[in-house]
Amino acid sequence: MHLASPPRLPALNSAPTTRREQRLLRQLRTLVADAETARTLLGLPPPAPAAVASDPALWATWARTARRLRRGAEQLRERRQRLEEEQALLGKYREMLDAFAGLFEAGHLPGSVRAYHVILRPGQAAVVEPLRQALTEALDSAFELRTRTLSAGDTALLLLVPLSRTPRVEHLLTESGVQEVPLPAGYERATAAEALPRMRARLAALPALVEALETERRARAATAGELLPAILGTTQDAISRLEAVGLSASTRTAFVVEGWVPAPDLPPLAERLRQRIGPEINVEELPTGPDGDAPVVLQNPRLFRPFQLLVEMLPLPTYGSIDPTPFVAVFFPVFFGLMLGDIGYGVALLGLGLFLARRARPGTQLKAVAQIALVCAVFTIIFGVLFGELFGDLGRRVLGLHPLLLDREEPKDIVSFLILCVGIGGVHVLLGLVLGVINAFHGHRRQAVGRGLSAVMILLVVVALLAAVHLLPAQLLTPAVVALLVAFPVLIVAEGIVAPVELLATMGNILSYARIMALGTASVMLAVVANRLAGAMGSVVVGAIFALLFHLVNFALGLFSPTVHALRLHYVEFFGRFYSPGGIRYRPFTHWRTH
Amino acid sequence: MQIFWITLSAALAIAIPALATAWAQSRIGPAAAASLAEKPELSTTVIVMLAIPETMSILGFVVAMFIMLRAGG
Repeated sequence: MHLASPPRLPALNSAPTTRREQRLLRQLRTLVADAETARTLLGLPPPAPAAVASDPALWATWARTARRLRRGAEQLRERRQRLEEEQALLGKYREMLDAFAGLFEAGHLPGSVRAYHVILRPGQAAVVEPLRQALTEALDSAFELRTRTLSAGDTALLLLVPLSRTPRVEHLLTESGVQEVPLPAGYERATAAEALPRMRARLAALPALVEALETERRARAATAGELLPAILGTTQDAISRLEAVGLSASTRTAFVVEGWVPAPDLPPLAERLRQRIGPEINVEELPTGPDGDAPVVLQNPRLFRPFQLLVEMLPLPTYGSIDPTPFVAVFFPVFFGLMLGDIGYGVALLGLGLFLARRARPGTQLKAVAQIALVCAVFTIIFGVLFGELFGDLGRRVLGLHPLLLDREEPKDIVSFLILCVGIGGVHVLLGLVLGVINAFHGHRRQAVGRGLSAVMILLVVVALLAAVHLLPAQLLTPAVVALLVAFPVLIVAEGIVAPVELLATMGNILSYARIMALGTASVMLAVVANRLAGAMGSVVVGAIFALLFHLVNFALGLFSPTVHALRLHYVEFFGRFYSPGGIRYRPFTHWRTH
Repeated sequence: MQIFWITLSAALAIAIPALATAWAQSRIGPAAAASLAEKPELSTTVIVMLAIPETMSILGFVVAMFIMLRAGG
């Protein structure tokens, strides 16, 4: 049951938690924060779902353990950061000092000379010549200025001047906008010639020190991995219980809890409460209305359930509005298949989906992703058969495959493909408008009329266009145009002056489905190029390797682009017509991480 | 000479929207990175946001294809 705010009745005390319980709640939240910080810093995965028993006697010990683990993990992280920063800094210096190593050999640098080390970023190299001129004017020829380009594109600059001229030189350096890089901490008092060997030794020792810290982290993670799941689970359960008490109301002898539960779950819940507590418990079903506080739970048939993940990436739909999951489950794989449409890539995706499905735990996001991948793979193979594509044109050349629906490489079929995609877009957007009418019908009748009229007008525009190009009888053109002219003012009355703009935007949304054709054509062309590479390389082996690499790149692109664009077509073009976000997620009172 | 103009038109039809897309994405990218630093759970929204300006490139591609097809390419 998803607990609602406490009932407000005069006879009820609506704040039944004592001060002691409130203090305990604060302490438990600190405990959880410590444990979570330690878990993250030690690189431990989130604990597996499990119902855990509570043992309140251990709170104090657990709080100390969690605090100790967090402090230890934080110290470990700080030590590692310091070592890595030192490694990066010394690496930069070593490169610079190595570049001028000859000058730092003992005896080469007299005591009366001051050395300035400067590292210029790639865009700053232009200051060198003006600086040289300024130094020549100020010191005549009593200086030595050398530069070297470092591996990262920086320029190392070494300036040697007599000790007596240092104030003037420092002024010139400041005027030129360059700053001397001081020697790292611990080497400030040493000369560069002394510092260089020490830096080399320290750099050589640092990887072993980092590795020792990593070993220490693994050891600490092993200890924490045994303690933290039980601590986190039990503490989170205790917090949920205390919060639930805060959401109840009570008299001296009874308590009242109000909440939400999916309608089919109510009789079993009432039965279990009677069994566990006894006949004195009274479960009452309150009348529901268009309640804005009601939580939302998406419930779909098993086949559609993985696609809830795609809907849940957005804020949930409001209570009572349409759950778009079944429509996403139908159209998302179709769009994906239309874009990738290749038997070879489909089989590869099927393999990937099966691998992920085996590795993933039931009920996890990874499992849902794997199931979506499997459905998309099936549609990719189906469209691959319809387009006669197996790794581009390889199937045609080697196996003699023939396109059954259209040939995406043929210029004349590309136009048919475009019409097919925009046609599917029209159906998709019209479906969105119809769902918008249904959604708005209960609350905003005027909006419902407007959306319905928009849908009709889009249909009329399509009929008029098809009649104009003689794909439909030409006699339909005049009635369609007349109906459009009649519907136009009615639309403005129903939805206001922005209605024509909305209508144009809707037409633009339909055209946006041309991306299915564009991405599909690009995908097949890349596959064809990969196959041609195999023949153009001269050597069969080199050509095959290049072709394989190219196909791999195309496959990776073929997974990413169709996913992103199919999502975009749903979120922007389809959901934009009817989706009303803002629902509160249904969070039943249960053991931590078991729901 | 006609082939030159047809090819140039098709190239411009895809190149100009591609530049516009690149400019739009260059503005969205830093904002998206900043948002992700604060709220990593926004990653999906960010990817979709980045895909929105690609409409220009895609429609440019469609227009370029039509130019080539009309010219018998």
